Amino acid sequence: METSKFNKITALWIVVVLVLFIASIVLGIIMRLNQSEVISLYPTTFYTDMTVHGLTMIGIWFVAGMAAINYIMERYVKTSFYANLTALILTVFGVVLLWVSAFVGDFHAGWTFLHPLPLKLMWEKWATPMFLTSMAILGIGWLIWSLSLTASLLKKYSFSQVFAWQHLTKDPKTETPPFVLISMVTLVGIITCLIVAVVLIVLLFAEYFSRGTFVNDALLMKNLTYFFGHTIANEMLYLGLAIIYELFSEISGKPKWKTTWYVALAWNFTMVFILTAFFHHLYMDFVQPEGFQIIGQLASYFASLPAAGVTVFSIIIAVYKTKIKWSLANILFFVGVAGWVVGGLGAVIDATISNNFILHNTLWVPAHFHTYNAMGNVLFSLGFFYWFSKQFSGEEIKYKFSKLTIILLILGGAGFLAAFYFGGADSIPRRYSTYPVEFTTAKTLALIGATFASVYLIAILIFFANISKRCLNVIFSRS
Amino acid sequence: MQHTSILLLFLALAGAAILIFIYVFRTSKNANSDEGGMTNALRKRFWFILILFIVLGIFASVTIPKSPYFLFADEQPSRVVHIAAAQYYFLMSNEAIDPKNPGAGDTIEINTGELVEFRVTSLDVNHGFAIYGPNNDIVAQTQAMPGYVNRLRWKFTTPGTYNILCLEYCGNGHQLMKSTFTVK
Ligand code: HEM
Ligand SMILES: [Cu+2]
Repeated sequence: METSKFNKITALWIVVVLVLFIASIVLGIIMRLNQSEVISLYPTTFYTDMTVHGLTMIGIWFVAGMAAINYIMERYVKTSFYANLTALILTVFGVVLLWVSAFVGDFHAGWTFLHPLPLKLMWEKWATPMFLTSMAILGIGWLIWSLSLTASLLKKYSFSQVFAWQHLTKDPKTETPPFVLISMVTLVGIITCLIVAVVLIVLLFAEYFSRGTFVNDALLMKNLTYFFGHTIANEMLYLGLAIIYELFSEISGKPKWKTTWYVALAWNFTMVFILTAFFHHLYMDFVQPEGFQIIGQLASYFASLPAAGVTVFSIIIAVYKTKIKWSLANILFFVGVAGWVVGGLGAVIDATISNNFILHNTLWVPAHFHTYNAMGNVLFSLGFFYWFSKQFSGEEIKYKFSKLTIILLILGGAGFLAAFYFGGADSIPRRYSTYPVEFTTAKTLALIGATFASVYLIAILIFFANISKRCLNVIFSRS
Repeated sequence: MQHTSILLLFLALAGAAILIFIYVFRTSKNANSDEGGMTNALRKRFWFILILFIVLGIFASVTIPKSPYFLFADEQPSRVVHIAAAQYYFLMSNEAIDPKNPGAGDTIEINTGELVEFRVTSLDVNHGFAIYGPNNDIVAQTQAMPGYVNRLRWKFTTPGTYNILCLEYCGNGHQLMKSTFTVK
């Protein structure tokens, strides 16, 4: 009974995420088509589209990771079904309000809704409070979920065990599974940035209702915005890594990965570094104290060390010259790690202040973050979705289909991203509905991007067609 | 120049990473069941992390001093240009701009080789202030933030027309914000 409840809700999450994913990809392709001037939208329509695309994508891949780790966590501790359900209801409710505020109310402040833009009311008067309410609902729903998962972990593991500190001693008496460690490290980051998000929303509301008597400080608001935005985007990737640590060996038919001293050390370091890397979003704000700028570059660089040295190296060791059972799920994990590495390289280049001076807010930015999302984190979650749905039918999807899916994903993803990278190196700005004539390559690159993104979409549609029926069966099965 | 080297560096690194992943995948496909994976994995991991640490450390110590905050920091600018960004235009002036009464601004001409300091602020929301050179690459940039003044120092070497574009999303006219100045 208990497991079947978790099966059902996880299957429901998967269907919701994939449906919203397909819709958001379509919005993405529409943006690229507009930038190539194949279609011609009002700028406002473009920017509402952009705002909805960005926020929906971040939201769904965050909850996809959460749903997956909640499902797996049931192997180790008892979690709360009602917290999970509350999060699902509030997520759907929040997304509906977001879409209404944007598509009906014309709200279009971008996914970061950087102060004071949301308060400028360049749209329906009610759209700003509705948008802020939608963010508050999402934030609170996710906070409840994260706190509840943390509480479940802490019921079984002591504070030092859950961070695997005993593995830093000579001979640890108990083992903290890597999955538990990574989930906990990630939940700490998530809870921190969601609390900051709540503060941010309260401050925006306060200014909105004060009618000009209270004005927030722009620099402080920008720091808060990126503390939240950067951190959540990073942490959701770590949710995906927790899945890999648990499932990669299992799906490959190999013994489980173990926590060792260096795994424990690496993830504890990551927990700290990741909270200061957001400073790289403010490099071009020269009034920010210089110390923060330099911490930003160092934290961005050294956050990549434990990740690359431990996670990437581990997956390479697990595969190198080792005969393993390949299935669509672990191929998606493997390709996803490669995508994550490539995106990370683009990120480290941009996190270098002297490079950021000419790359900041060019297409280089969507280039690298789409790499580790569309070709990284998304594939981690798709791998989980596939593994999950396969439990209930036992069969692999036809070899022909899984091969086609992978090939189209890689081909479509690579072409779509290349158009962003070349655009960024060409100084083409991000977030432009159409490009000034001086950018002679911009339209062509946008068309290439739209074309390859459509190939990527086809891969997702094939994947969706293959697993949605299984998920729907789980949702509607009796018992 | 820097634009091309950044792109090439990225393509080289990304290409190498992808080749390694393909190679590793193929060694797995070709493996016999009795073959034993990587030997001495812990030692190799240690060296990998150490080398990466050193490379990143060198990279950081070379690049941080080139950060824009330290550019021409010990020289006196011979020219100050005041910039106020607003939805959806840039105001440029030789005199300080009063936010309550911004005025009409000036046409700006700058000499090659002189040290200019741009004092950049915003009259409403956050904007960007990016200088595009005659071949339409970004030369330098900073942000325009309400309530703050960012000081950007630069010496121009190539004469010509320079465009200014907004690089911080500021609303539905963001893509239209544009201004120009000339370098003689
Ligand atoms: C193939 C699928 C996708 C397509 C075609 C697509 C397309 C786009 C485009 C064209 C933009 C605007 C770029 C610009 O600034 O000019 C954009 C922005 C963005 N995308 Fe995607 N995208 C895709 C997948 C994703 C995924 C998986 C994520 C996951 C997190 C994501 C998150 C975002 C975010 C956060 C923004 C920034 C929005 C903003 O600037 O406010 N996208 N995308
Ligand atoms: Cu602007």
